[in-house]
Amino acid sequence: MLIENMSMAFHAIRANKMRSFLTMLGIIIGIGAVIAIAAVGDSMRNLFTDAFKDVGLNRAAVMVSWEVDDFRMSDQFTRAEMDRIKDIFSDRIEYIDSNASNKVEAVNGRRKVSYQFQGVDYNYTDVQPLDIVYGRFLNESDVKGAANHVVLEDKGAIKLFGTADSVGRTFRMTLNKITQEYKVVGVYHKDMSPMVAMMLGNGQSQSGFIPDTVLTRSNDTFQAVNLYSRNGTNMRQLTVDLKQYVAKLKGRPESEIMAMSAVDQMGTMDAQLGTMSAAVGGIAAISLLVGGIGIMNIMMVSVTERTREIGIRKALGARTKDIMIQFLTESALMSACGGIIGVILGISLVKIGGTLLKMTVVVNPAVIVLAVGFSALVGIFFGLYPASKAANADPIEALRFE
Amino acid sequence: MWKKKKSQPVHETEYMGEDLIKLVDMVKVYDTGTIKVLGLHRVNLTIKRGEFVAIMGQSGSGKSTLMNVLGCLDRPTMGHYYLDGIDTANLEPDELSTVRNRKIGFVFQSFNLISRTSALKNVELPMTYAHVNQKAREQRAKELLERVGLGTRYEHMPNELSGGQRQRVAIARALANQPPLILADEPTGNLDTASSVEIMELFSQLHKEGATVVVVTHEEDIAAFTERIIRFRDGKLVSDTKNKPQIQTEEEAVTMQKEGSHAD
Repeated sequence: MLIENMSMAFHAIRANKMRSFLTMLGIIIGIGAVIAIAAVGDSMRNLFTDAFKDVGLNRAAVMVSWEVDDFRMSDQFTRAEMDRIKDIFSDRIEYIDSNASNKVEAVNGRRKVSYQFQGVDYNYTDVQPLDIVYGRFLNESDVKGAANHVVLEDKGAIKLFGTADSVGRTFRMTLNKITQEYKVVGVYHKDMSPMVAMMLGNGQSQSGFIPDTVLTRSNDTFQAVNLYSRNGTNMRQLTVDLKQYVAKLKGRPESEIMAMSAVDQMGTMDAQLGTMSAAVGGIAAISLLVGGIGIMNIMMVSVTERTREIGIRKALGARTKDIMIQFLTESALMSACGGIIGVILGISLVKIGGTLLKMTVVVNPAVIVLAVGFSALVGIFFGLYPASKAANADPIEALRFE
Repeated sequence: MWKKKKSQPVHETEYMGEDLIKLVDMVKVYDTGTIKVLGLHRVNLTIKRGEFVAIMGQSGSGKSTLMNVLGCLDRPTMGHYYLDGIDTANLEPDELSTVRNRKIGFVFQSFNLISRTSALKNVELPMTYAHVNQKAREQRAKELLERVGLGTRYEHMPNELSGGQRQRVAIARALANQPPLILADEPTGNLDTASSVEIMELFSQLHKEGATVVVVTHEEDIAAFTERIIRFRDGKLVSDTKNKPQIQTEEEAVTMQKEGSHAD
């Protein structure tokens, strides 16, 4: 009987192809939107996770808020203060630096390449592993001795020297108003999706590392302290403690100190993503509602048109339940078909978008099952009224219907 | 519906009395809201198994009302209607559906086949609602279509068949569940004379094989095929007479057809 109902429903839907398609359109768009949004959300989340892995998940920063009105020179951190923070929190902080970076132009003969150099300590690779392909990373003597050594990314090395293997090559650049010669000691490679690179905002310049003792002078002060915690550190507690300490150090209330961690930021972004998904999901829900009403409307028309058929069926022995299930099957099937087409549409859209943006697109199979199931439910819900109208028709009246 | 019920042999009934139809002081009143219209007035009528009966009357005579009650499409307002021993007066709509399904084979004036559905599927329909399994349904439907002379047209849609052929499909459908009663409402009303004769001969044939056939009509020619003619006027049964079927052979039918065309 179920198979019978299904085939009857298919028959009825196929009999009015255009009408059925137009009726399904609401569901198609609704489900398509849901699928696309879910996929975009999942893909974005993956992207953020990747990006944060790049930045470092155990990264944190502390500073005097830039929103204070009376910003003083003493609000900046000196190198000594940074060292003290590292000492005090040495059980939890593995690495600390000033997060100094400088955009400079490297010159090799006629080649000029813009570089963003990050000043780091020698143990930077302990917290942010790098894939060194040639040479080595900056070592302790490079940093302590403020040697003019740099580590370049392979892409930048190719731009500057025409080859990735540029260990030992030299170039000139002007740093702190002094033009000097610098030597490449290592080349690293980094896999980064274009989207992550765009999000991190260093699409234009090449990147490289330089001893922070070279990039900054010993009496420089810094706005923020950048640090990486040891594994297993409670980041929230660390930021709270840092805030407290820095507040005391700078003689400011805790409310004027900013301490943040990558994990917190990721949570915030996740929440924002969730809000966005919920908003667009709401719109999709409205679309499904409208689609459902469309189905209800066309089912009402169909019931009226087929009054005579209903009369015949009843005369031949169909009970209320039989007619009810027949029409419910029809509306559920129509809606589920719309759902399936919607899923296909949604996935194709996201795949096309993903290909254009060179992004890996994630489609959760559970979302697909849920979407199709939900659309069938929409069909059943909005089919209830028309179906009960059909099922409760009086056979004599229905048979008389022209 | 979802559970597959064991299909029962639909022709088996506990009541095997002689009277298939028994109307006792049956009254049907139509309540139109403002006024009550008397459809049938105290009808007492008994039709035995195996009879071939015509119910006649002008429009407004109450014969359609009687047809609806006999067909269990409607319930009597007062009195009783026993069909095959079942008192239909107190049945719920769904119970009436089941009674229609098992006890009555309908043949309508306007055929009432389901459009865009093959002849075979149309014949299968009453068996579908009787939960007969697919294989048995199809086999029986094919046998029935063969029996009414449409053995090669299983897959034809109603709109691909002539009026006479459509009515044959309807008769095959009426026989599907082997109901004790064949109830035909103006079965030849939409047919030409030749087809009418064919259809009435088919009913005669069924009657000879033992079926109880009740034909509601206003045409004397049609009633002439039956063995008993019951006349209604103004909601009352006015006469109930035996009739000797006049036209029985194909030869005579052709004669009648010619006479009919002369009369036009």
